[in-house]
Amino acid sequence: MSRLELIGINKRFGDQIAVSDFSLTVEDGELVSFLGPSGCGKTTTLRMTAGFESPDSGAVIVDGVDVTDLPPNKRGMGMVFQGYALFPNMTAAENVEFGLAVRKRPAAERQTRVAELLDLFGLARVAESYPHQMSGGQQQRVALARAVAIQPGVLLLDEPLSAVDAKVREELRTEIRRMQVQLHITTILVTHDQSEALSISDRVVVMSRGAIEEVGTPTQIYAEPRSAFTAGFIGAMNEIPVRIVSGAGGVVERGGRRVTAPGAAGLVDGDLAMLLIRPELLEPLGSTGGSLNGDLTVTGRVEVQTFLGATTRLLLAELPANPDDRSVLPAARRLAVDVPSATAGRWPAGSELAVRIPVAASRVIADGTAIQPGGHA
Amino acid sequence: MSGTSIAGEATEETLPAMIVAAEKAGKARRRVNRGPRVPVWAIVVLTLSAVYFLLPLYATAVYGFSNGKHFTLQPLWDGLGDPGFQTSLRLSLFYSVLTTLLALAVVAPTAYMVELRFQRLRSTIEFLSILPFVIPPIILVVGLSSMYGIKSPVNLLASSWAPVLLMGGYFILTLPFTFRAIDNALRAVDVRTLTEASSSLGAGTIRTFMKVIVPSISLGLVSAALLAFTTAMGEFTLAALLGYPTFPVYLLNVNGWQPHMGEALVLVSFLITWAGVIALAAVARRTPGTQVVRGGPM
Repeated sequence: MSRLELIGINKRFGDQIAVSDFSLTVEDGELVSFLGPSGCGKTTTLRMTAGFESPDSGAVIVDGVDVTDLPPNKRGMGMVFQGYALFPNMTAAENVEFGLAVRKRPAAERQTRVAELLDLFGLARVAESYPHQMSGGQQQRVALARAVAIQPGVLLLDEPLSAVDAKVREELRTEIRRMQVQLHITTILVTHDQSEALSISDRVVVMSRGAIEEVGTPTQIYAEPRSAFTAGFIGAMNEIPVRIVSGAGGVVERGGRRVTAPGAAGLVDGDLAMLLIRPELLEPLGSTGGSLNGDLTVTGRVEVQTFLGATTRLLLAELPANPDDRSVLPAARRLAVDVPSATAGRWPAGSELAVRIPVAASRVIADGTAIQPGGHA
Repeated sequence: MSGTSIAGEATEETLPAMIVAAEKAGKARRRVNRGPRVPVWAIVVLTLSAVYFLLPLYATAVYGFSNGKHFTLQPLWDGLGDPGFQTSLRLSLFYSVLTTLLALAVVAPTAYMVELRFQRLRSTIEFLSILPFVIPPIILVVGLSSMYGIKSPVNLLASSWAPVLLMGGYFILTLPFTFRAIDNALRAVDVRTLTEASSSLGAGTIRTFMKVIVPSISLGLVSAALLAFTTAMGEFTLAALLGYPTFPVYLLNVNGWQPHMGEALVLVSFLITWAGVIALAAVARRTPGTQVVRGGPM
């Protein structure tokens, strides 16, 4: 219902830079996720948007109006907190009604609106229950209903699903998206859970150390990460060392093979670089070998098999490089290879496996921007 | 029961225990034959404690309901009919109620603001709140008399503002109990997040405090009220030395010239205190949402 602009926001806590030069526009009705590891500044940015913290510099603009200096209760933003923060002395219905009562809406209107919302969130049965009588999922729904009851211009969700269990979390995130689209509320979702961010957002803001790493649609962020941090943080990602042969031509070399790889253009000749590829894109060559068609291969020994359902992940330790390989590149770290579970029996732990790296689907980034822990395979 | 503890003055330890005991009494009755076997030593300790506490009460009753030779309720009727009793009890009730209200009105918002915005001041405030334990009432009253007495440029003692001295003194004496009770209750709920939630819904600080915080800490407020009330009701030193014929002062005087009546009235004051404790405990039990919840999976 509103367009939100965050312009050049900076915030320090003592010597610590919490948020640095954060600028973002969230369009009317858009759902944008702030995704990043803990301490990356995502919650601080959200709290500055809500007015619970004030930025050292920068501005928060809603529909063209500067609200940077307004207290939280004058901003008309709805917020859902990590621990729900339901009022323990009020029933579900009273919690939802609170914001309307503050706004001095007529009793009849309040009742209608509360009933509508309880219905929308499937809470009619627990309308008269107190928070301690409800399940985690129900409490979370009440928190959402309470936040949207005031028809906020902007809805802020601070890790809203972190306290509920995995199954409820999946249901609720779909429900949040459904509600957000239905009510057309401009929404910011703060999360450290990439699947949550990727599954329900229009755009994802990946943050690290107080700054924006990258902004893009979930598909862009997953398939074409522009930074090593994003690549490592979102999903599992393999890093395979390669040498830049020709920065001008985008040519890299590994194991004596030269191939043209996306992202290599413009890098410095002779430098070490990292080729990034998702586990599900690596293809086992088996014993027959096969045509390489301008792709690379890596051979390794299967260390562990992890059953993931439809697929099984093989953890591959690269075997020592070919003695006649003159490029002397460091071995790849453990490679993750996802294969259909039905075929995984062919490569038991201890067996040897060669995989093809479809270079066209990979991305080369300069080395030295090493991938942060937590993300890589 | 005589001397300065005549109105059943409570200590920090005994009062919450009294509330809990009153609350549990009902539940316990419904759970006969279900609990685990009570060990022998517990029965021994319980019996000894009961004898220690009940024997003086029994002695007071025996002495109070007697004319020196045989049992009679005459001293009780004499006491209840005595104008001095009624006046002093009214005076005590008046100042105790005012002190209780003052304590709640000052301590609750202060503790809330400390918890919310001035965490750094917590240790200072905690230290100030326990000062009355270190400074006995006699020192307090001497200090008040010299500061605001006849020789002082700010002579409150001889003015119509004199009751302020008594109330102020009572207030200070109740601080250790009231601050602790309210602060504990505040720390058990997530004050900051509740305040932020309320604020995001449009409420200002006062509304948040009255509608969200106060109901969430009602049990703590009831405890604080109870502690403040009984402390003020039983306070002797300040009242006697500032010249207020409150109920404890009256009881001490009566004990001098009509000891049987005095003891009968001690029992009355004891019953009044207990009635108060039970009534407040009942109120607390009926208040919705007094169970503390922070959210999270259940």
